Amino acid sequence: MSEPYDVIIVGSGAGGGMSAYTLTKAGLKVLLLEAGRNYDPVTETPMFNIPSEAPLRGTSTPDKPFGFYDATVDGGWQVPNEPYTIAEGSEPFMWWRPRMMGGRTNHWGRISLRFGPLDFKPKSRDGLGQDWPITYDELAPWYDKVERLIGVTGRAQGLPNTPDSPDGCLQPPPTPRAYEQFVTRGFNGLGIPVAAMHAAVLTQPLNGRAACFYATSCGRGCSIKANFQSTTVLLPPAMATGNLDIRANALVYQVDLDRTGKAKGVTFVDRVTGEHHSVTARSVVLAAGACESARILLNSKSAAFPDGLCNTHGMVGRYLMDSVGTSVSGQFPALENLPPTNDDGMSVGHIYVPWWGYEKQSRKQLPFPRGYHIEMGGGRAMPGMNLGAMLSASGDLTVGSALREDARRIYGSYIGFAGRGEMIPNEDCYTDLDPQVKDKWGIPVLRFHWKWSEHETGQAAHMVQTFLEVIDKLGGKPTPGYQTDGKQAISRGGEIIHEVGTVRMGHSPEDSVVNAYGQSWAVKNLFVTDGAVLVSSPDKNPTLSILALAWRSSDHLAGLARRGEL
Amino acid sequence: MSHQKAQSGITPYVSRVDRRTTLAWLGGAVAAGLAAGAGAVPGAAEAAVVAANTLKGYGTDPKLTHPDKAPWPRLMTPAQLQAAAVLCDFILPASADAPSATALGVPDFIDEWISAPYPAQVADRPAILEGLDWLEAEAQRRHHAVLLQLASADRAALLTSLAAKPTDPSLNKPHIFLWRFRALVIGAYYTTKPGFKDIGYHGNVALAAYPGPSDAVKAHLDRELKKLGL
Ligand SMILES: Cc1cc2nc3c(=O)[nH]c(=O)nc-3n(C[C@H](O)[C@H](O)[C@H](O)COP(=O)(O)OP(=O)(O)OC[C@H]3O[C@@H](n4cnc5c(N)ncnc54)[C@H](O)[C@@H]3O)c2cc1C
Ligand code: SF4
Repeated sequence: MSEPYDVIIVGSGAGGGMSAYTLTKAGLKVLLLEAGRNYDPVTETPMFNIPSEAPLRGTSTPDKPFGFYDATVDGGWQVPNEPYTIAEGSEPFMWWRPRMMGGRTNHWGRISLRFGPLDFKPKSRDGLGQDWPITYDELAPWYDKVERLIGVTGRAQGLPNTPDSPDGCLQPPPTPRAYEQFVTRGFNGLGIPVAAMHAAVLTQPLNGRAACFYATSCGRGCSIKANFQSTTVLLPPAMATGNLDIRANALVYQVDLDRTGKAKGVTFVDRVTGEHHSVTARSVVLAAGACESARILLNSKSAAFPDGLCNTHGMVGRYLMDSVGTSVSGQFPALENLPPTNDDGMSVGHIYVPWWGYEKQSRKQLPFPRGYHIEMGGGRAMPGMNLGAMLSASGDLTVGSALREDARRIYGSYIGFAGRGEMIPNEDCYTDLDPQVKDKWGIPVLRFHWKWSEHETGQAAHMVQTFLEVIDKLGGKPTPGYQTDGKQAISRGGEIIHEVGTVRMGHSPEDSVVNAYGQSWAVKNLFVTDGAVLVSSPDKNPTLSILALAWRSSDHLAGLARRGEL
Repeated sequence: MSHQKAQSGITPYVSRVDRRTTLAWLGGAVAAGLAAGAGAVPGAAEAAVVAANTLKGYGTDPKLTHPDKAPWPRLMTPAQLQAAAVLCDFILPASADAPSATALGVPDFIDEWISAPYPAQVADRPAILEGLDWLEAEAQRRHHAVLLQLASADRAALLTSLAAKPTDPSLNKPHIFLWRFRALVIGAYYTTKPGFKDIGYHGNVALAAYPGPSDAVKAHLDRELKKLGL
């Protein structure tokens, strides 16, 4: 296709993939620019490989921080040639990035929870944070469409602020595993309800994609396309329209403006050749991942925008959020010597614990304002090198047949509990450009500023207490090393990899960068469709909402384009 | 001396690493300034360790479906590899149903592990190599023979004394070494197909549907939950 395109999309992950899907289906001519290399899950996924076929039995290393077989290409907590910095005096911040087509959707956790009505109106709820410019009901139709398209498990359970999907949206959830049935009784014994997991994994075939066959680890990707990856679910149908060009290894660093102040395209550097190119289009969609989209805006300086594009009110980079996280694991004698079960498949819990404390919080009976949900892991997963540590922690230095018995007894008797909680946006968490440090191509890099508040550390302490209670209720022993002080227990900023905010949507240019459709206030043919636009960071993992918002914004963009209003 | 006791000794461990791979490492090692035959010359092992730290890992985009062998050269001396083999089969000898650790090439894996250029493995290296050296020296000290050629009762006594919670403080360090070595052997052993079978991992096979726990499993859970009052 030739320039100018109708739309240039920057980034091919959740937001970019969804935008490409919607806009090409609407008949617009689209160029997708992706910083990473091309990536094909069908041929590149190590589906049935076992640890002994990999160096170091697949153990994590700085080269592959989530293990050898994890799908991440050229990235992790650091990306070669693309540093970032932490401001002096800041608490730590970690930024997870891959460099591959489809971005983080290739190895994400696939937990897909709708935000609830309260999550869109946090300030109205208790005075903290900021209300969104939209309500749950306004976004709900796009949640429905996303669930139908990508395939999400779950069941209507009528729990507060945990929306049920209309009939026909969800795939049937799989039966809970043995350890999950066990743990359910523990939570229920504490009066805490447990729900079916909402995961972007097919339990029934959908649109030519096969159902999960309950083997192989989803974090490696899925060559049979049974889980959601942008590369298997969004980009192929977008490609099939004939309206999509894709360019890999294109690291965009600037939005270019024409004389009237509208976006006319973007400039990028080819990561492989080092050459710089500019391409043109009638509109631009940024979806490079929350922080990187802010970086592109901050690096797009002009006479009209000396502090970066759309940054007249200093809002770009502000209100960076992550989820609150902490975890405790326990060993359960009751699970020892359980007849062997096959717990493979779906690679996340078949159940989770939605936040149960809304009532108490509304009566101010909890010392922290917002909730968290609990994710669990356990069972008889494919053994890894950590088995050695597990056996060291729970027994004597046995050898020979005694060791073999210990191994059979201990294996599958551990359960890990992880909390994922809401963070309230604050003035101390933001990103800006580092005044000195540049990437390999001379482009200024991001500098992060981070500080958890008591809202979050108090919540982390409560998570640990809950985990210890349920472990105790089930007769287990917590694995030593956990912290009961929330300040010690809480994850580092960014560590949960739910970083959102930085280009938030809002009611006016003074309180936000984009409007309720991700359209920038300052440049009307410039949109943002990734996690950057989120106004709050509820406990529910963000990606389903990023997808729904990206679809809604792209529908709006397509309408404006059709009516010649861009 | 030692060769007189050869009958009671055990067959030396034969490395599973093929010659082509060894040659490839040697190429890499020479490029990194590593003396061939490291360990034979005094100081060469240390030089090899220093050189190895400057070697690269498998990179940030390795081939996943058919992984290449770990590219770094191995650092254990032949004597250390033999001591590792003795220890591997002390920890996991063959059982009626499952092969021994050496039959699964675990000593080579430990060599791969301690030779890797990554921080966690580099951190394991000195304690593991020193522990293996200590074991060999202790065989000499106690029985005036190399470990491989000890009478089996002597070897068993030596290893068992190491495994027991030490009362003699000079055994503290070797005992801690054994814990770490054992953890590596366990990890290496149970991440193989025979290891899966022995521990009762039944997954990694495609299923038409997820069956959920069997009645036997549910009965076990019910029994246990009842004991817990749940
Ligand atoms: C291990 C892991 C587990 C997770 N689990 C969950 C979960 O269970 N549930 C959930 O909801 N979320 C989960 N997440 C988070 C989820 O992956 C992200 O929320 C989601 O992918 C964000 O979508 P995005 O479009 O904003 O960014 P991404 O998916 O990261 O896509 C951004 C894309 O833009 C590209 N890009 C970056 N910079 C540039 C540039 N300058 N020019 C061109 N292209 C660029 C990137 O290479 C990337 O491909 C998880 C993430 C990880 C890593
Ligand atoms: S568990 Fe299912 S969804 Fe996950 S990778 Fe395997 S087949 Fe695909």
